[in-house]
Amino acid sequence: MSDVAASAPPAESTTRRYDVTGLIGGLLSGLLGIGGGTVMVPLLVLWTGRQQREAHAMSLGAIIPISFAAVVVYGGAGQVDLADAAALCVGSILGARTGARLLVRAPERALKGAFGVFMLVAAVSISLKG
Amino acid sequence: MLTIIALVAFGVLTGILSGVLGVGGGIFMVPFLVLVIGLSQHAAQATSLLVVLPTAAVGSWALYRSKVGDPRMALRMGLVGMVGSVGGTALALSLPGHVLRIVFALLMVVVGVRLLRDAVRGPGV
Repeated sequence: MSDVAASAPPAESTTRRYDVTGLIGGLLSGLLGIGGGTVMVPLLVLWTGRQQREAHAMSLGAIIPISFAAVVVYGGAGQVDLADAAALCVGSILGARTGARLLVRAPERALKGAFGVFMLVAAVSISLKG
Repeated sequence: MLTIIALVAFGVLTGILSGVLGVGGGIFMVPFLVLVIGLSQHAAQATSLLVVLPTAAVGSWALYRSKVGDPRMALRMGLVGMVGSVGGTALALSLPGHVLRIVFALLMVVVGVRLLRDAVRGPGV
């Protein structure tokens, strides 16, 4: 059903929903230091009516400029451990390709379930942080 | 040496989760860097941010080639998000972070439970 919606050019009001989704994602990521994906994926699914798979892919894409802004804002101030970052990057770059391949193939229900679990874990994680 | 192996291995795990869930992965990396590697909270956040960028780029490139999602709309969201991110960082200094965190955590529980319920009941596409 949403295959048609995905291929058709979005209406003006729908475009505004994506803008608001991106804005809230960025705002909360700057405000709370959590990733924008935690916010953008549920909004894309429940508000703009995207499929779970599309929402995950779009959130990951939107994270690129958002995290770039965060690196510019925080990067100068924070004490980045370059050696640790490099080692993590070696692994995460390899893993990201596998993860993306999984996302392409996984059933919608499995993705919904996995993201549901992720949200509960993330909820515990951010409440402990404060 | 052991630390490097642990970091690379944890990086692989984070990368997979990031690609499949569509999130940056900071939520996994920051606690790991603090609790296992022993960085301070600030250093862990700054370090994690640096890893999120190439991870999201590599995952997105793979998804773009598989034609999953809507790259133009994603880019648009990201550019608007940049503005939000800078605004959020400025606001963070004047708002009670602890309260916001609890409110947001509760909202996440509600959404998480709803997604799990949909996963159990919904159509299996």
